[in-house]
Amino acid sequence: MIPMKPIIFAFAGKGGVGKTSLSAAFVRLLTEQYPEKKILAVDADPAVGLLTALGVEPRLTLDDIRMRIAESIDRGETADAVALLSEARFHLLDCIAERGNLSVLAIGRPEAAGCYCKVNAYLKQVLESAAGNYDFVVIDGEAGIEQINRRVMETVTNLVLVSDGSRKGLQVIRTIVRVAERLMPGVRTGAIFNRVRPAFDPAGQADLPPVLAVIGDDPRQTENDMRGDTVFDLPEDSPLFVGAKAALRALLAPEEADHAAV
Amino acid sequence: MRLFDDVIAGVNALLPGPPTKAAPYDPARCATDGEKDRILFRSETAFELGGGGKPSVCTVLFGDEPAESRVELYGPDLDAIRADQPFAHVTFARLRVSDGSAAHYEQIQKLGFTVFQVYPEGFLIRVSPMSGREQARVAKAAVECRPPLSLLNVGCSLIREFRKHPEIAAVRTAYITDPAFDYTALADLAAKARSITSALDRALGGGELDCAACKMKPVCDSVEGLRELHFGKEKTS
Repeated sequence: MIPMKPIIFAFAGKGGVGKTSLSAAFVRLLTEQYPEKKILAVDADPAVGLLTALGVEPRLTLDDIRMRIAESIDRGETADAVALLSEARFHLLDCIAERGNLSVLAIGRPEAAGCYCKVNAYLKQVLESAAGNYDFVVIDGEAGIEQINRRVMETVTNLVLVSDGSRKGLQVIRTIVRVAERLMPGVRTGAIFNRVRPAFDPAGQADLPPVLAVIGDDPRQTENDMRGDTVFDLPEDSPLFVGAKAALRALLAPEEADHAAV
Repeated sequence: MRLFDDVIAGVNALLPGPPTKAAPYDPARCATDGEKDRILFRSETAFELGGGGKPSVCTVLFGDEPAESRVELYGPDLDAIRADQPFAHVTFARLRVSDGSAAHYEQIQKLGFTVFQVYPEGFLIRVSPMSGREQARVAKAAVECRPPLSLLNVGCSLIREFRKHPEIAAVRTAYITDPAFDYTALADLAAKARSITSALDRALGGGELDCAACKMKPVCDSVEGLRELHFGKEKTS
């Protein structure tokens, strides 16, 4: 039994450690294990890899909306806050691609050079207003700590930190944990170690969040990627899928316990 | 209230004959309220008015009509619609006091936003103020239940929202679902209303005082009262 309040998983960590593949595996597991629940997948990484991994393509991204509204304002059209919110709400539904119990939303990649502040502000607003419509939200975050630092992830309930066995990867997740403790009070954190060598032992590392799964190299995942297949084509016994399953089970156990206590 | 008179006359001339359905405002007829941020998913939706690339138009016009609040429908009601359909929604609002002052026009700018703030259960309204479009996803549950949701219910909900503002004397709201209606002509009139509103924004904000350099000049040339509103405001400030 899962509680009614949305459970929001956000994946964070250094670039190139498999956040997108693991986010996609979580989405697949949730859609399959909870067919009666509504799941939202948010591609918050400007590289938009989650859309490819899920094989779902929304017509518009949130950045497309931002561009349209900015252009309208430049043309001298209304800039009233109420009107702008209505405009954003109008287009939001066009940004959500639906397949069965899964909805997919992409933040997009700003064409203009510069910072991502506005895009991140959109993400936060959308999460706050749309998340209540879903039982689960899975966010594939951008690499690093920017989205956490800017409080984009404030509504997240479970922060999944992904690292390989490298010193840099571990250092990034330690930094994210420190920032999250300050800016995301009450968030549950856990770590998935992906693409690690057999000798890697997370128990020997200090200041890490609880370990959810340790995953070695996964040739099946690599082949899947090479063929351009989606996560739904990944064999169930692939190490990445098995690891994601274990991590999801570990994260949902306390949620279920909370629900049982209520 | 002269600003929208030509547009109002144009819209009334476009509306086809007597409405298919009409009813005076009755609070008991309002639709059940839904949640503001509730998304109506595709899998829950029977059809979308103005969706699927079909025409959709929305405009709010302030003037000397109506005498009494009422809802009108031109075309089939929700229980007779099976697929995405063209859609238009025109609201005519009359204020208790219409003194033509700058404060009065600022007030009507705000009151126009009321159309964004109605959330009937099973009827997801989305309005694009910039393009003058309004679309509505209609839930399967809303049209399969007995009695089914009617646009008369939705219209009463909208009027109830308008009536929360003490400045409002009466509201007439007209829904058009007739596939044969001239949506393009209505969209042109709605665009003219938006340009008047934009010119009002500019006038009330002080804005450009050199008419020859102002891009709103064609609007001010064609709408009586706009220019004097702008310069009248400047004289007193």
